Amino acid sequence: MDLLTNWLAFTPVFAMPLVAAALGLIINERAGILNLGTEGIMLCGALVGVVGYIEFGDSVALGFISGILAGLVLGFIFGFLVVVMRTNQVVTGITFVILGSGLTGLMGIPWVNKAIAGISPIHIPFLTDIPIIGRFIFGQDLVVYVTIILTISTWYFLYRTRMGLELRAVGENPQAADADGINVEAYRLFAATIGGAFIGLAGAYLALAMAKIFVLDMTQGRGWIAIALVIFARWMPWRVILGGVLFGSIEALIPRLKAIGFPIPQYYLEMTPYLATLAVLIYAAIRVRSGQEAPKALGTPYVRQDRQ
Amino acid sequence: MNTALEFLGVHKSFGENHALVDAFFSVNWGEVHALLGENGAGKSTLMNIASGLYAPDRGVVKISGKAVAIDGPQAASALKIGMIHQHFKLVDNMTVLENIVLRHGKGRWKNSLEKLRKQISEISEQIGFGINPDARVDTLSVSEQQRTEIIKVLLGGAEILILDEPTAVLTDEESARLLDQLKLFSRQGKSIVLITHKLREVFSHADAVTVMRDGKTVDSRRNPKSISPTGLSQLMVGEAKEYENVSYSSPGPLALELKNIRMTRDNGVIALDDFNIRLFSGQIYGLAGVGGNGQTELADILMGVRSANDGCFILLGEELKTPSSKNLRDKGFTCIPAERYLYGLAGDLSVMENRVITHLSSGRFGPFTWVNRRAISQETIKTIEDYNIHGAKPDTRARLLSGGNAQKLVLSRELAGHAKVLLAHSPTRGLDVRACAAVHLALREASQTGCAILLLSEDLDEILAISDRIGVINSGKIVGEFDAPADRQEIGHLMVASSQGTSEE
Amino acid sequence: MSVISLEFIRRRRLAVEVRQQIWLPYRLSIIIGSVLFGLGISVAILLGRGIEISSIYEEFIIFTFFNAAGISAVIVESIPLVLVGLGAAMAFRVNFWNIGIEGQMFLGAIGASIIALFNIGPEFLRLPLMLVFSVLFGMLWALGPALLKVRLKVNEVISTLLLNYIAYYFVLNQLFGPWKDPRDKFPHGEQYENAERLPEIGWEQVHYGVVIVILMVVVVWWVVDRSRFGISSRFVGINPRMALAVGLPVSAITASSALISGGLAGSAGFVIASATEFRLTFTMAAGYGFSGIVIAFLAGSRPIPTLVVAFLMGSLYVAGESMKIFYSLPDALVGLIQAIIVISVIASEFFTRYRLRLAYFGGA
Repeated sequence: MDLLTNWLAFTPVFAMPLVAAALGLIINERAGILNLGTEGIMLCGALVGVVGYIEFGDSVALGFISGILAGLVLGFIFGFLVVVMRTNQVVTGITFVILGSGLTGLMGIPWVNKAIAGISPIHIPFLTDIPIIGRFIFGQDLVVYVTIILTISTWYFLYRTRMGLELRAVGENPQAADADGINVEAYRLFAATIGGAFIGLAGAYLALAMAKIFVLDMTQGRGWIAIALVIFARWMPWRVILGGVLFGSIEALIPRLKAIGFPIPQYYLEMTPYLATLAVLIYAAIRVRSGQEAPKALGTPYVRQDRQ
Repeated sequence: MNTALEFLGVHKSFGENHALVDAFFSVNWGEVHALLGENGAGKSTLMNIASGLYAPDRGVVKISGKAVAIDGPQAASALKIGMIHQHFKLVDNMTVLENIVLRHGKGRWKNSLEKLRKQISEISEQIGFGINPDARVDTLSVSEQQRTEIIKVLLGGAEILILDEPTAVLTDEESARLLDQLKLFSRQGKSIVLITHKLREVFSHADAVTVMRDGKTVDSRRNPKSISPTGLSQLMVGEAKEYENVSYSSPGPLALELKNIRMTRDNGVIALDDFNIRLFSGQIYGLAGVGGNGQTELADILMGVRSANDGCFILLGEELKTPSSKNLRDKGFTCIPAERYLYGLAGDLSVMENRVITHLSSGRFGPFTWVNRRAISQETIKTIEDYNIHGAKPDTRARLLSGGNAQKLVLSRELAGHAKVLLAHSPTRGLDVRACAAVHLALREASQTGCAILLLSEDLDEILAISDRIGVINSGKIVGEFDAPADRQEIGHLMVASSQGTSEE
Repeated sequence: MSVISLEFIRRRRLAVEVRQQIWLPYRLSIIIGSVLFGLGISVAILLGRGIEISSIYEEFIIFTFFNAAGISAVIVESIPLVLVGLGAAMAFRVNFWNIGIEGQMFLGAIGASIIALFNIGPEFLRLPLMLVFSVLFGMLWALGPALLKVRLKVNEVISTLLLNYIAYYFVLNQLFGPWKDPRDKFPHGEQYENAERLPEIGWEQVHYGVVIVILMVVVVWWVVDRSRFGISSRFVGINPRMALAVGLPVSAITASSALISGGLAGSAGFVIASATEFRLTFTMAAGYGFSGIVIAFLAGSRPIPTLVVAFLMGSLYVAGESMKIFYSLPDALVGLIQAIIVISVIASEFFTRYRLRLAYFGGA
């Protein structure tokens, strides 16, 4: 029973960074930008989150804000490179992964391995104490609830506002959007920047809430899992939560199993999130349906003066 | 000031390609002005400058006599210029209403939607376009998509309408309707620029005509009737060219047969419905039809790019269960694709590589383990001479060749293999008359050596000129077949009939 | 050129256009220029850490290039780099983004280690067997993502990457478990016997891996430049739709290239295990994945330039190593420098591929 309660309680904690990063990626990809550098940006968000927390006197709020800002800045730089300088999105993305690792490895030394108190979950009398699902629903930290609001907001923005419509047009058919007077470059830059902020938030959460410490290369592939998650979610915000909970539950299960001495060798257990991601990718590929495909102009730069 | 839009001394180059050289053009208010010229003449480029997509290297653009700087689509629209491009600027998976909102949406979402919905209905009624604002663009017919573009442009208050080859994708009937509508607009004071290469339209609807050739403006006159069709043709190409009268050959043995082919598109619409066709050696079969009646799907099946849902594919007596482009080519089938840069060439690779890529396995250019570059180069030089491919050396990048020359390269490659069955899909699209003639000659020569040729084209003149046998495709079926020479009117009727469910005439 | 006046400036706008022709010397100089620019920034970072420019000069230039031990260290370091560079290049040529090089290296090392641990085959055949097995195992690890891409269109960036993690955990599992060194109980594999180590060729520290490298470069060059496969795969990489339409076996070419890529990475794993580490370890592949990608990218996926770029990368590693030790700089440094150089190069591509023009609008 305890196992079940703990497992459920911790699932959102593991799910949140994936969901937040995936939301950022959806905004990116809907505008036509493929940001493979998620892993690197997340890492920087984690480090800067911890730096902000420590340097501003153990402030959770400022820690998170710092992490978000770091993601925002990196997202903007990425956007500038791929949109204005029109660099190859795949190469730039992969480079950002190493950039993130390199930057945090070099600059982060004073703050590495410093355990912090971080953020704590809320506690609502009676509600949080409901057996099994109490902590799952009512016992999470504030940021998890904020993420749910972010998911709804992202959906609303993309599908119920004119800006969202224009952003989606930019990702589907930039020539048409341009001819309609929409500033393609501006929207893509905007998407990259906001997306980066979401990814920075995810990274900050990793350090401030999940691990409560910054360790070198602590993202461990979560950025890539988020990218896969977006494909699985078919670029729709609400499905991201579904996928996030799925992965979060797998990740949350591993330490529980280790604790009870589950008879599978430790390292095979560690493999499960990656195997699961692979399985999810294959599943998503098999069940491709029209209308829920990738934005048509994903990954390609737009040059108006190109011979049409 | 009666002049609405005027270009003076405009120059535009794309690298080495001089698209516009000292071009001039002027259209008045209340006038339908045809801009005539073959592809590559510069018509679209010139008008793209007006619509803000291209920036001129030199020159002046004036609206109502005032010099303007059109630095983007927004600016063009503010100047009341509206352009309907050849390739529509519509987002396929969004609705008509959403596409209009993209262009004209202002302020809050809900209000935009309702306001624009009303405006669309109003204009729709005014001009007799019946468009459902909530239909997804990719479910609309080409003509309906075009109407959406026109509405989009009118809602912006466009007074100068530029249409780039609008009737290229319409049936004769739809074309007539569109041209009449445009005439009406001009009577209301609007200025209409009609980019076209169809002489018929010039004489039936234009008040004035300007001819461009090789980036220059060659002639401009206010009364099209003051020059004969032959004269206009001469201006367009510099010399008169007529289709030769050819003798029609009798067919050899059956080369390719498609039986009961059925194919549905991704969105469930049936593209080919119990489709049957037979191609005979030494015969050119021209398949006439309005675009969108299954030709693309037919081409895809024949190219081996997609498989039919049902039916038999029998090539040279052998039934192919899963025709892939590889085994089709192995068995002697080859094709000239419609989109030469997309499916015919690798633009960033050299002319010589593009020339031989499908012939490597024949062994002519060396074994698998060591390709003989010298042999390839020599062969390429010979091809360049034989086909008169301008601007090409063996190591020139293919993308630098102009349309006609690129097509000649594709042709040379495909015909060099002495194929037994050939699919020519819109082989002369975008080519000038000289290149057209070269292509037609090559096709006739190929058929004379026994090749069975299927000509898919939306240019009825072309089909009538070189086909030995003509079929009409409509709604995914062959609705009529004729031996040449055939009656153009009858073919035209079959092309249009029953596509809207109305009874045949 | 007209007189510079306010009118002149107001009537002009900056427009971005695609260049139709790119002049090779211009392109080369831009690339070299941007590499130097990136290096410049890296040097600035080092200076910011308090390292003096003279010592950078000494370490990087003198000790590395003007010194037999230095050159030999660079060659030794470059050997696996050439292999992973070639591997990445073979995949990139057909647009298969193989990020799983590290995983494939691990598998290659595993393959070699199996031969070594179980003493398979007579001693004189041991090394060739290890090489063969490393290539096969490397190919095996690329097979899954290759099939997934050509059959199901699964994005290979993610699938190869996930396999990295899976391979890594598998190696950890083995090294902390059944393959732990029985002698010192550390989580690295048992040491290879002499017959399983690549011998040195006699000059400084250079080992026979250099022969393998030269062999592989020649083979890859031949495949890419002279075989039918090579020319066909150029089409697959540049215009896959056209390749499909003209009957080229696109899936087969893509998958084969991916497999060759994996095999090359596997051979890199063998070389490191057999010539440097003399055993299977879990740190051996660190950083090689990205290095391979960078090398292939800077070399334009061509075999001979790959050799050159790998050599330069090797010198970066060697210089970086000594600076790490002397100035206690973190491991992340070399990776950071690589990232800066790559960003500098890809940003500079803007100037080769596009043209900024002042477009002129307006009056007489």
